[in-house]
Amino acid sequence: MANKVDVAVIGAGPAGLAAAIAAREQGAEKVLIIERAEQLGGLLPQCIHNGFGLEYFERDMTGPEYEKAFVERAMGLGVETQLETMVIDLDGERGITAVSRKHGYMKFKPGAVVLAMGCRERSRGAVGIPGTRPAGVLTAGTCQRFVNIEGYMPGSRYVVLGSGDIGMIMARRLTLEGAKVEAVVEIMPWPGGLIRNEVQCLHDFGIPLLLEHTVSFVHGEKRVEGVSVCRVDAERRPIGGSERFIPCDCLLISAGLIPENELSRRAGVELDPVTGGPVVDESRQTSVPGVFAGGNVVQVHDLVDWVSREAELAGRSAAAFADKGRLKPAGGVKVVPGESIRYVVPHTISGREDVSLHMRVTRPGLKATVKVGGVASKRFRSVRPSEMIVIDLKGDALKEAGTGGELTVDCRMKEGD
Amino acid sequence: MPFHETEVLIIGAGVLGAATARELSRYKVDVTVVEKGVDVGWGITKANVGVVCQGRDTLEFRPEYHRTRLLWRALPLMEPLCRELEVPFKKVGAYMMVRDQVLKEKLDKLAKRTESLGLGSDKYYPFTELREREPYISPEIKGGLHDPEIAVVHPVYLTQALMENAVSNGVNLMLETEVTGIQAGHSEFTVQTDHGEIKARYVINAAGEWVDRIAAMVNADDFVLFPIKGYVGVLDRNCSQLAGSLLAVLPEEPGDMNIVVPTVEGNLLFGIQLQINRRHDRSTTEHMARLALANARKLIPEISEKDVINSFCGFLMFRNFEIGWHECEVAMSARVPRFVNMTIGYPGVSASPGAALEVVEIMQADGLKLEPDPKFNPHRKDIPDFSVLTEKERKALVRKDPRYGHVVCRCETVTEGEIVEAVRRGATTLDGVKFRVRPGTGRCQGGFCGPRVSRIIARELGIPETEVTKAGGGSPQVPLRTKQLLEEGGGDG
Repeated sequence: MANKVDVAVIGAGPAGLAAAIAAREQGAEKVLIIERAEQLGGLLPQCIHNGFGLEYFERDMTGPEYEKAFVERAMGLGVETQLETMVIDLDGERGITAVSRKHGYMKFKPGAVVLAMGCRERSRGAVGIPGTRPAGVLTAGTCQRFVNIEGYMPGSRYVVLGSGDIGMIMARRLTLEGAKVEAVVEIMPWPGGLIRNEVQCLHDFGIPLLLEHTVSFVHGEKRVEGVSVCRVDAERRPIGGSERFIPCDCLLISAGLIPENELSRRAGVELDPVTGGPVVDESRQTSVPGVFAGGNVVQVHDLVDWVSREAELAGRSAAAFADKGRLKPAGGVKVVPGESIRYVVPHTISGREDVSLHMRVTRPGLKATVKVGGVASKRFRSVRPSEMIVIDLKGDALKEAGTGGELTVDCRMKEGD
Repeated sequence: MPFHETEVLIIGAGVLGAATARELSRYKVDVTVVEKGVDVGWGITKANVGVVCQGRDTLEFRPEYHRTRLLWRALPLMEPLCRELEVPFKKVGAYMMVRDQVLKEKLDKLAKRTESLGLGSDKYYPFTELREREPYISPEIKGGLHDPEIAVVHPVYLTQALMENAVSNGVNLMLETEVTGIQAGHSEFTVQTDHGEIKARYVINAAGEWVDRIAAMVNADDFVLFPIKGYVGVLDRNCSQLAGSLLAVLPEEPGDMNIVVPTVEGNLLFGIQLQINRRHDRSTTEHMARLALANARKLIPEISEKDVINSFCGFLMFRNFEIGWHECEVAMSARVPRFVNMTIGYPGVSASPGAALEVVEIMQADGLKLEPDPKFNPHRKDIPDFSVLTEKERKALVRKDPRYGHVVCRCETVTEGEIVEAVRRGATTLDGVKFRVRPGTGRCQGGFCGPRVSRIIARELGIPETEVTKAGGGSPQVPLRTKQLLEEGGGDG
């Protein structure tokens, strides 16, 4: 490194780009994004469908359009990038070790670090699908890359396990490519992705969504020849005798995303077992001073727009840290999820500043009221685990209410979907 | 017309075939190996937990058994062999544990037997001391017997290395060549394959899962085999700290296996032994997965379903019931001269160097002239493993070949340089690359690197990506180009 890097951002997806831009705008001189792939944008270039930017730009954009808007801003601000570069170590003192074909082996210590590694898909092994191990079993995101970037089709007749957004979007994409999608199979009683994707990708294309079903067996020696699909009971166990065989040559898996935190672990960052991401305060500082995190590495978001927003926060805070060499952790008040709330991010707040709380419910419900201590409450016609709930709190209101060091967030709702 | 003639023909490139080929490559003798698969070591050798067993883990291991003799012969050979071939070999040690104080007597008997056989003296550790050494074991465990000699080796790496070294010393390897028939002549065999006839004076049948079928082709099936199926789960490397040694519970019923094993790479495997099964059925079931996980949690309660990144099934081929599970067949057929059968069952990988030596001696005793080849080179250089190199070594490697600076597989830190080298050494498929340099074996199971590895293989082999397969013919990863289905009128209409 010729000059000292003020803010190093690991990952050039929507989170990394937004964090780098925000850090530059906040006054950080040298902001460097390190990206393992060949291009900027993370998964955005392969997300050729629309639905991006509705919140951030108030405009319906495709993934590549959304990416371009951020890349142009970043380049305009002089954000530096290193592509095809893998960060292989991050230590507890912000020391980065990275390697690339072009730059060789590098070690440096930036003023602050933003973790923006995003998330990965749960694989067949992680989901634990029984059966044989032929070619033709892959995650929906890998399939999306093959089809939209590489120009190849992994098969012509598909079953999709899991109704995550990428799975539903790929069901439509593959249908448009002339392939047949036999079914989308979801183990839960409700879909894993957004309602708009259920309607626009499955209903509009006549693709059956089998709720409370799972793939109980993969058949085929060399290539997938079909899958057994069966109903599940309340414990999500296959119901004997309910199997039926669906012939197909490909099984796509869209059964959840896992924040990618191996580097965070190496650095000794404390992780939340529920989100799989770092424990963060309202500035998105992690338990390691000077290491910040934003986007899907913290929590799996439903919309990319929230990824960008959260990463901007991390980027601004990182710039402030790099400038002063410290940033007081905003940890006065602990945010505690109640029975019906799976998690809340951030994990701690100052109790003095404006702050947005991101959360997900544990189960779907109707006529829901989310209460944040005695500070705020918000009503929703319906809530679903697949959709992020965002509640904005005012610093004044927090100060006035006083929180006693803890703020419980809970949701009252009627059962129903 | 024969398309090929050879002095010794080895059928099967599993660990036994490869070890024998490598042993024979020390001599001036014409050796050919035929393998029906697209790569070496992919039969029963592959689905194996890779324990280099010492023959002291079970009371059923009697000195009078043939397999015991082969194993004891192999024991001092394995580590030097791995060193010569640069195959990772890790002495992890093992604890044979009991949950029941009554069963401790059995452990005492085991320890006594080990001592009386001159194999060393194993120490018993009660729970509190055991827990200091293996802090994650279940409080249900009463204590365990420590065997410091147990090691682990990757059976496929070992097979590849043996075969690479054999080939560099003149052995002829024919992949994707399936034996379809054998005739025994006066002085030679005529072996039919799907690529034509091979004439050979000696045939070594090391066909693994199909060893009895091959033997039956020439009426040399002096034995009966029963495949026993096992299930193995793979844990994320983040769980490596949960066990530093092989942990096993003393089986109360024969075949009641329950173990957790560290691999040479640092993942933990957990496994159970199941029952006699239909051959070639390597499918896993929900029941096995649940049982194996439940068993593993009885050893280490912290093992979680969340950390399982993969699972597979494998086979052990066992001999006749009437003599127990314990015998092997490494012998010239009583009915067919110059036809040697090789099948061990358990522990095949550990005994392979001993079995190879014995087969060479069997042929020598039969009159095969073996003159040492002065050009024999016992050494084989391993593919550099970027992930375990020191900083200095990494820098030097990247300077020499920048492709080693391009990390393709994030989970396992595998570089393009390693993948290219794996292809150069004979990997032609995704699994071939995966079983040499590991891309796709980590927690994301190839989600990120899959398309990239596929592109590198296509480029290096000069084939279209639609022809890159997972594991040989009939298993393409991406069989079609986009728009192809639309041009052809769509999948089903």
